Order: sequence, then structure tokens, then C-alpha cells
Amino acid sequence: MGFEKFGRFGYVSQTKINPLLSYLEKGQIAATKCEKCGRTYFPPRADCLDDRHSALEWVVLDGKSNLVTFTKVFFAPPAFQPETPYLLGLAELSNGLRVFAPISASVEEKQLKPGKEMNLKAAKGARDNLFYWLE
Amino acid sequence: MSRIAIIGVGHSKFGKRSDASLRELAFEAYSSALDDADIESSRIDGSVVCSATHYDKQRSPAGVVAEYLGLNPQPTFNIEAACASSAVGLRTAWALVSSKLHNVIAVVGVQKMTELSNEEIQELMGRAGDVMWESPFGTTMPAYYAMYATAHMAKYGTTEEQMALVPVKNRKYGSKNPNAMFQKPITIEEVLKSRPISAPLKLFDCCANADGAACLIVTNAEKARKLTDRPVWVAGLGLASSPMSLAERKGPMTSFEVTKNAAKAAYKMARISPNDVDVAEVHDSFSITEILNYEDLGFAKPGGGTRLLEKGETELGGKIPVNVDGGLISKGHPVGATGASQLFALAKQLRGEAGSTQVDGAKIGVAQNIGGIGMYSAVTILRA
Ligand SMILES: CC(C)(COP(=O)(O)OP(=O)(O)OC[C@H]1O[C@@H](n2cnc3c(N)ncnc32)[C@H](O)[C@@H]1OP(=O)(O)O)[C@@H](O)C(=O)NCCC(=O)NCCS
Ligand SMILES: [Zn+2]
Repeated sequence: MGFEKFGRFGYVSQTKINPLLSYLEKGQIAATKCEKCGRTYFPPRADCLDDRHSALEWVVLDGKSNLVTFTKVFFAPPAFQPETPYLLGLAELSNGLRVFAPISASVEEKQLKPGKEMNLKAAKGARDNLFYWLE
Repeated sequence: MSRIAIIGVGHSKFGKRSDASLRELAFEAYSSALDDADIESSRIDGSVVCSATHYDKQRSPAGVVAEYLGLNPQPTFNIEAACASSAVGLRTAWALVSSKLHNVIAVVGVQKMTELSNEEIQELMGRAGDVMWESPFGTTMPAYYAMYATAHMAKYGTTEEQMALVPVKNRKYGSKNPNAMFQKPITIEEVLKSRPISAPLKLFDCCANADGAACLIVTNAEKARKLTDRPVWVAGLGLASSPMSLAERKGPMTSFEVTKNAAKAAYKMARISPNDVDVAEVHDSFSITEILNYEDLGFAKPGGGTRLLEKGETELGGKIPVNVDGGLISKGHPVGATGASQLFALAKQLRGEAGSTQVDGAKIGVAQNIGGIGMYSAVTILRA
């Protein structure tokens, strides 16, 4: 299983953080945590920035977050046009880390403003692609 | 510190140049820069070709550009820093000449974009964001900058009407620039009524993809004095980086740390403060970008960029005229050529040759050039 399954249209197929996909498959959001210093990374990293340690364990995150900012995309790259317009957001998780994610199609732009409480949830696309989005 | 000068500048017409290929655009800019410097091509001992090459059909364009300009067998290579490519090209030339490895370098910023559709270009631009964690969600450059706009509006009460003042100002000056892609002024109403691209940004809040080239001839002080009586001095060079992914950036997303850092370095090197600047070229890829740039360059306090616009302070005759060549919004944005185009405009200003858009007595100019979604930012200070 290649990482190109990640997202609405994935570009990168090969990476060390492939296990993220199995968590998403189970409906979970997972981060990596350095076994040496305990620093948590989301989106997951394979290598710790602080001590260059490369043994990281997976930890499940709760998706509670606050919206930092967002946009509604009307002019989209070809692969994304079937879903246009769509919402993209940047949110801060309760552990202080930030995530760039689409906003669920069920959310209306009018309801959004920076600071709004959101939930980052695992999601599955029509082509069995896996991702997360803000609800 | 060694003194490095720009002794010649050249510019092609920007726009949908269906009449010209990449190498021919480069030739237009190079040839006019040689004429401007009044020197022969044989004096050039190296070329730095600046282009974000994924938009060009030609791969490794330095090869064909150096050949077409007659610059073999001198060294040539490509510089890529997205939209900041040719500002980084000047930085490279500065180092090459200061080190005495070279005497006279041609910095050639060039981009041939319109053989791709805007949709294809935005797909590539979206991939100038983090390709693992962001592009798979359908990012575009307008979308990224729109997210900064949303945040600025929420924090400071900035409105779409205020943002519209940027394209209205820049298109007014663009109408006086024969090299600009768009030479027709627009009104606030036209901006507000234009179709949404990535909310809150609309068509006329955006720069357009374009073909074009601009060229700078760079040399040391000794040669500059021999070759010209109107050198423009490179007084400050600031370049900084930021995480590429938005999620790794801190704070409320209402400013670019990367520009603040680049500005600090450039002001320090030039030993000036923002108050000393007579004329500026800032990266108005989008209306909001110009506003953030005022604040990040220290022309206004955080949140104060829109006041500067409303008071006309960045118009000709104002405290600090900005983008009086029309900016990216009028000229179009042939990515690799834009940084050199900004420096072309400043050189003209500092030599007193800017015609109807001349800023009286301009002695110090600042150019600010953002790369991509702000992973790179270059701030360059030139002096008459
Ligand atoms: C905004 C954008 C998506 C519009 O593309 P589009 O919808 O394909 O537009 P079209 O090419 O169909 O153009 C339709 C008309 O609008 C004009 N136009 C296109 N983009 C324009 C712009 N940004 N500003 C003003 N006019 C524009 C065209 O000249 C054309 O005019 P015409 O009908 O008189 O010939 C495109 O200009 C774009 O991608 N801009 C952003 C570039 C960018 O992100 N650069 C990097 C910045 S860091
Ligand atoms: Zn660690």
C-alpha cells in the first residue's frame, strides 16, 4: 500500500510514515512521538528534530482543535475540480500542534471564523483514499 | 564590505507572449541590459539564469539561455527560489563578484509560463506548498495567500474594500508602464465584482501568470566606475527562510516572519531604517500580500497597512511610493523574472529615469520578493 492513498489526490508514494494510513483506516488520527525525548509530531515525522533520534512510536490524538484560518477555493487544479468549490483550513490541536486540512463538505463557509472549535476526523474518499478533515 | 553595482538593466514586455520562446524572451532582456550598460557581450564572464523551471517546457534552461545569448563557454547555472528566483540570483552574483571569482555577471530572470493552462500552473504552484501534507488537499497559491487574508481580516478588521485599494493603485501605475501585461486602470467596484478565485481573493486581487524576462548586469566598484557614470549600488541583501508547511508556522498568520527576518538583515547591512526608504517595490502577488509586506518591512505597524493605503501614503507623492511601476498585479508575474523586474524598476528610479512615475530625488530603494508561499523572502536595498 503506497502513501499516494493519502489525501484527496496524493503525490508522494514512498515514505517512512506509511503506518499513518492504517490508523486512518481505523478512523484514528495518529502522531509520532520520539522515544528518547518525548516530542510529538503531527503531521508525523520519521525523525526527531531535537535529537535526530529516529525511533518514534505512534500515538493516537484526539481531534479537538481551533480554526486558525481558512479559505474557499473556487479555482482549483485539474484533479480537484470535481469537488470545487471546497474549503481548506489551518487548525490548532489541543496539544498546540497545527494541522493543514480540508474542511468537511457539510460545513458552511458562513459558519466559519478563526477561533471556531472544530474536530479533526479521519475520512475516506470515493477512491478508497484516506485523509482527515475538520468538522 | 565590498561594493557591488548594477550597471545595466533590461526588461522584455511581460504578458501572454505567444510570439516568443523562453530563449527569445531572455535575449530581449539581455540585449536591452547590454545596451543600457553600453558594454559588449564579451565582457560578461558568467551568467546566472533564474527561473522556476517547472513552468518552462525547457528543462535546465541555463544551458539554452547561455547558448542563445552567446555566453559559452563562460560558467552558467540555474537559480530557483520560486517567485524569488532572480532576487536570489542577484545575491548569487554579489557573492560571485565580491569573491573575485567573476568580474561581470549577467543575472537573467526568465519564465515562459503560458504554454501551460492556468489550471496546470496552479497545480504546480500548489506543489510549491508541502507536497506530502498540503498539496494532496488541492492547494493553490491564491488559496494560501487567501488564508493569510482571512486571518488579517479577522484580527484587524481588514475589509475586501480596503484590499481592493491595492489593485486599483497598482493598475493605475501599470497603465503608464509599456512593459506591463495590463495597462488599463480598474475601479474598486470592478475588483469587488470580479469572480472569486479563493475567498476572500477575487480575480483582480490576483497577479496573472505571464511570460517575460528581466536582466541585471552586476560588477565590482572598480569596473563599475570605469564602465558607467550612473551605477546603482547594492547596499543591502537580506534573505531568509520559513517552514514551507503552514502548520509549522507560528502565530495568527497575519504576517510573514520570513520577510521580517530578511528585512532586518537588509536594513542592517545597508545601515538604514524603514524611514530612510524613498521608493519601494514589494511583492504584490495578491492584494493582501502588499498589505502584509508594508507591515513586515516596517512601513506600517502590524494591522496598519490598510491605513497607509487609505491615506495615499504609498502613492506617488506619498511618504513611501510602492509599486509605481504597476507591481506584479499590472505587469503579470513571470515567476523567475519578477525579482529582476522589481530591481529594474528601482534602478530606473534611482537613476532618475522613471519618467512619469519618477519619485522625486529617490536615493534609496527597497525591493521585496517572496518565494512561493513564503518559504523564501528576499529584501534588497539599492542606492543611487
Ligand atoms: C487568477 C487566475 C487563476 C485566473 O485564471 P483564469 O480563470 O484561467 O483566467 P483566464 O486566463 O481564463 O482569463 C480570463 C480573462 O481574465 C484576465 N485575467 C486572468 N488572470 C487575471 C488576473 N490575475 N488579473 C487580471 N486579469 C486576469 C485574462 O487576461 C482574460 O482577459 P480577457 O478575457 O480580456 O482576455 C490566474 O490569473 C492565476 O493563477 N493567478 C495567480 C498566479 C499566482 O498564483 N502566482 C504566484 C503568486 S506567489
Ligand atoms: Zn527526540
